[in-house]
Order: sequence, then C-alpha cells, then structure tokens
Amino acid sequence: MKRSKGIRAKRMLDSAWSYLLLLAIAFVFFFPCFWLILSSFSATGSIYDYVGFFPKAYSSSTWIELFTKRTPSCNYGIWLGNTLYVAVLSSIVSTILVILTAYTMSRFRFKSRKSMMQLTLLFGIFPNFMNMTALFVIMTQLHLFNNLNGLIVLYSCSAPIGYLTQKGFFDTIPNSIYDAARIDGATNFQVFVKMTLPLSKAMIVYTALTSFTFPWSDFILPQMLLGGNKDNYTVAIGLNEMTDDMFSLFAAGSVFIAVPIVALYFGLAKFLVNGVAAGAVKE
Amino acid sequence: MGAESRSQRAGGLWKSVQRFFKTCTLSAKYSMLWMGLGQFRNGQIGKGVLLLLTEIGFIVYFASVGVRDLIGLFTLGTRAGDPILGIAGDNSITMLIRGVLSVLLAVCFVFLYWQNVRDANKIALRRREGRQVNTFLQSLRALADERFYVVTLALPVAGVVVFNVLPIIFTVLTAFTNYSSQIAPPKLVRWIGFGNFVTLFTVTSYIRTIGKIFVWNCLWAVLATSLSYFGGLSLALLINKNCVKGKRFWRAFPILAYAVPGFITMIGFRYMFSGMGPINWLIVKLMGEFARVDFLGINAVWAARAVCLLVNTWVTVPASMLLSTSVLSNMNRDMYEAADLDGASGIQQFAYLTLPFVFFATTPILIAQLIGNFNNFGISFFLRGGLINSREYFNANSTDLLINWLYNLALGGSNNYYGLASAVSILIFLLTGTFSLLAYIASPSYRREDTYK
Repeated sequence: MKRSKGIRAKRMLDSAWSYLLLLAIAFVFFFPCFWLILSSFSATGSIYDYVGFFPKAYSSSTWIELFTKRTPSCNYGIWLGNTLYVAVLSSIVSTILVILTAYTMSRFRFKSRKSMMQLTLLFGIFPNFMNMTALFVIMTQLHLFNNLNGLIVLYSCSAPIGYLTQKGFFDTIPNSIYDAARIDGATNFQVFVKMTLPLSKAMIVYTALTSFTFPWSDFILPQMLLGGNKDNYTVAIGLNEMTDDMFSLFAAGSVFIAVPIVALYFGLAKFLVNGVAAGAVKE
Repeated sequence: MGAESRSQRAGGLWKSVQRFFKTCTLSAKYSMLWMGLGQFRNGQIGKGVLLLLTEIGFIVYFASVGVRDLIGLFTLGTRAGDPILGIAGDNSITMLIRGVLSVLLAVCFVFLYWQNVRDANKIALRRREGRQVNTFLQSLRALADERFYVVTLALPVAGVVVFNVLPIIFTVLTAFTNYSSQIAPPKLVRWIGFGNFVTLFTVTSYIRTIGKIFVWNCLWAVLATSLSYFGGLSLALLINKNCVKGKRFWRAFPILAYAVPGFITMIGFRYMFSGMGPINWLIVKLMGEFARVDFLGINAVWAARAVCLLVNTWVTVPASMLLSTSVLSNMNRDMYEAADLDGASGIQQFAYLTLPFVFFATTPILIAQLIGNFNNFGISFFLRGGLINSREYFNANSTDLLINWLYNLALGGSNNYYGLASAVSILIFLLTGTFSLLAYIASPSYRREDTYK
C-alpha cells in the first residue's frame, strides 16, 4: 500500500516536470515568432523605439505601408510577384525532372545506373554554392545573369540530384504490377503515365511543395545571381537589405511570406514525417 | 601494381579493338569511314541521313570554333585587350568555359561515333541471319520504349551537366589560374599550377586565417550537429512519454519554428541579440549596465560563437525532432517490455535500446547533417550581417566557416580572389568528401545492414 503511494507520487512528479519542461520549450519556440508578429505592428518602425522586447506603441500602418510603398528600399509588391513567379515555375519544372529521374533510377536497370548514382552522391557534397564564380560566369554567358529565369533554370536543373527520397518511394511499388501491364502490351510510356503517376500522387504533391518552399525562402542563389537591379529582387534579398530603422517593415514582410509556408507545413505535417522517414530508411 | 594492371587493361582494350576490326562486318567498316554510311548499306536510310548530318554538324563545329576553343583552353588567350586603344583582345574566362565545353563535345562525338559503328555492325549481323530490320519509325519507337530510360533521363542529365558538372569543372580549373578582380578580362588570366594552394599555405595572413577558421569549423560541425541531434531526440522522447497528453499540441511549436524560413529567423535573432537589442535590455535590467554583452560585435569571439550555436539549435532541433519521432515509431515495443521485466532502468533502456536503434537508423542522415553544418553558410552570414573583418583574420570573422571565407574571398570584399576561392572550394570538397566516405564505410548501417531486419 505504502509502496504504491510512493510510485504514484513519483509518477506525479515525473509528469509535473515533463509538462514544465514542455511549457518552457514551447515558449522558447513560440516567443521569437510572436515577437516578430508584434514587431510588425510597431508604430514607429525602428528597432530602437522598443522598451525591452516590446514596441512602445502599436499601429497597423506598417502593413499598409508594406503593400503601398514603392521605393527602391521597399518594393514589396514587386518582390512578392518575382518570388511567386520563380517559386511556382521552379516547382513545376523541378517536380517533372525529379519524378522522371527517381522513377527511372528505381524502375530500370541499365549500364551506367550505378555510376550515375555514385556521381550524384558526389555532387551532393559539392553544393552549387561553392561554384559561385563559375555560375556567375556561365549565367552571364547565357544572358541569364540578373534575370529571374536564370534562377528558375538553376533551381530546376539542380533538383534531380536530390531524387533519393522519391526513388525510395518508387522502390516500394512492387514490380509485379508493372510486369503484368508489360505482358498486356503496354509501352513503358503508357505504364508510366497510366499506372505510376496515379499511384504516386502523394509523392508528387510532396515533391512539388518542397520544391516550391525552397525557392520561396531561398536567399543565397538570388543574392548571387540577381545583381544591382532592384526590380528583379526576390523578397529574401529585399528583406535582408532593410536597415535597423525599417525593422517593423522587415517583420511584416517576413510574417507575410512565412504564413503560407507555416500553413503548408501544418497541413502536411504527416507527409513531412513520412517523407523524412522514407529518405532515412532507404540507402 | 595499379599501373601494371592499368597498362594490362589498356593493352586488353587495344587487343579487343584490333579483334573487333578484324571480325566486324563491312557495314561497320563503312560506318568507321563516315558516320551513317554503314547504315545506308544496311538499308536504314533515315538513320543513315541523321548520322551523316550529325558528323557534318560536328565537323563544321570543330572547324569553325571547336578546335580554336580547344587550343584556347591551354593558352587562355594570347592578346590582352585594351579598352583605351579599343583592342578587344582575348577573354580568358570565356575561353576557359568554351574550352571545357569543346572537350565535353569532343567526348560526346567519340562516343556517338563508336555507337554508330556498333549499331552498323549489329544490324548487319542481323541482316546476315535473315532477320527483319527496323524501319526508321520502328527504330524511333523502339528507342522510346525499350530505352525509355534514355528518354526520361535526357533532360535531367543535360540540366545537371550544364548547371552542376560544368560549374564544378570550371571551379576546379579556376583553382589553378590567377583569376581575380585584379587579373580579369580584358587582362589575360594565366595557368599557375598549384600557385593558389602554395599561397594559401605559405602567406602568413592566409595560413593564420585558414588555421583559425578550420579549427572552429570542425568544432562547430561537431557541436552544432550533436546539439541538434540530441536536442531533437530528447524532445521526441519527452513528447512520446506516456504521461504527456496532447502530443500534437506540443509538437506544433517546434513545427512552427521549422516552417519559418531560416533567413528570417536568423535576421530576427540578430536584432534580438544586437548591442541595444531586447536581450541586452533584459541583461542590463537584471544585472546593471556593466553586464552588457556585445554578442555579435566585430571582435566578439566566444559570445558570438555561443549565439550562433544557440540559434542554430533553435533552427535545426524541430527537423531533428520530426526525424526522431518517425524513427521511434518504427521501433519494436516488445524490446522495452522485455527490458522492463528484466528491471532495466529508464536510463539503461535509453542507452542500450533507444540510442543504438536511432543511431543505426539515422547514420546516413547524421553524416549529411555533419556535412551540412560544416558548410553552414547562413548562420554566420545572417547573424553577423555579412562581411566583418575581425582582428587576426583576413576577410573573415570569428564565427565564419570555410564556406563563408570562400564567399568573402570570391564575392564579399572589394577585391575578388576567384582563383584562391576556388582553391578553398577544392579543399572543402576534399575534406568533406573524404570524411563522408570514411564515416559511411565505418557506420553500423553500412557494416551490418540487416541488424534490425
């Protein structure tokens, strides 16, 4: 009797500190996001008009300013349009290329397959970013420097290197399905369009979304490849160039581009876990 | 031994070519003479015309620009331009790229030529046996179906070659030139062999910077990865505890942090930790003015490094938690019940059951994370706000990693040291490549693939 009481007390203590810890962790993750949202409603805009963490006065003027201001240092409407254009087109082209690559690598056995797989692993260690000088020169040669289409081409053409998650998915589709269709006389093209694509809707959605979110929030490539012309800026470089006295504009602009991504992630939390797991378990 | 076997293999190749030449059909010999002739002889007119035109195309290319480009790759230009006198001169960098392209095309040509001879031989043999030969349309259809992988991979491979392989080749080659913003077209760029590597390792300011950055870079990769890995694992285990209710609610907060684009988080934290920012306000409020910390100032070393680690942990723990959660959900519950019966404590269960399993399942990802952190450009770039030159560093600061230094050398400052930067890329590549290869071979998932099956 006495012993079971001791165990219960121990359990209570255990769950008490678990919840306390969870509360603290939730606060640590939530507070910076909350702080940024609050800052976007600050009345004066400068980071130096705060009392500690909180703005001295609140107003929604920053949000109106964000979408109406047309100055070189804040041209949010144009930047947003550019970002959307790059992200949507990159997502479409990348998805096509990645799905084709992953399906081929999973389904077919041909001579150069193994060496191609090893080479892509090698390229993975040599990120595009390390070739900045080369990319700069090549993009200039192709008249794609300081050009949004150049970004789309670069995102899309680098995407097939990250085909492993998708290949892992295609590996789980049993070959017997395909073989049956082949015996019925379907060509490989028909098999791909009529059988594989309907089976892999979920994977296509996952691929499209991840290849949308990357260009949507990428900073490094736009910074390298979009030179001085501020009409070509994406949101990321535009926000990065904002100064201390434009902090509330920065916060509002950040919150606005983060919201769609946050919504996507929550809608797809299950997908994400499975996607990560698929990449983890397969070689 | 290696050289011997290689020469043997080369000899073998030569012998098999000789044998092929002796035994091959007349059609194959026709095709050796000119692409497509053998196909004509086999009665495949459409294919023959296509191949014939291909060879003409290649010859026109090589005669007009190809050979010039190929030579240009070695000379990198002989006539310096002069904008004042209006002399256009040779553009070494364009010549370098075009030279590489011409080499790739030449390889392509040789490959196509060889395929053309083989094809002529194959079809001729088939005709000799009296079997049906495909018409042009049939051949196309066969290509699209039997070699479906050629059709599907053509575009991705072309894209990767032009925008990933070509840049890598270019970067590797640039490391052996003296290309910089001082020596750039219209001036002539030269091949200087290992000159850039010698500079990196002999000039005092470089070698001092490289040494300091390298030590911090390794320490950073290990610390950042372990913090995020064990942080994520502990968080996943905490939320997975039986006594915790509302798991999805608690998981939502890290997912929120995960979803916010990284650069926003980091710039946000830069403001938070700035000299007059809210964190310092809190410190001053609690302890007085003397305690103010210049976290991310120009010469801050360990304070800045600690902030970088902290922020990086905040950014990376959520993904690591998601990963651990999904790995843990694959774990066999029975093992724990057995352990409970045997009276193993919670800590023992963690150390002998959970950790080995999770570690086993995630080794490849762990290696990738280690490499990712080794090359984590964003953290120092955003938190320090671009290029800051700290004391005792050349074009770098205390939190910069090799990849930041590479960026600063190539594009960051007023002088662009492209050649040196490329040499640094090669160093990074050698370091990370060797490491991941060794780590992968030594990893339990590689050595004992079937442990948990």
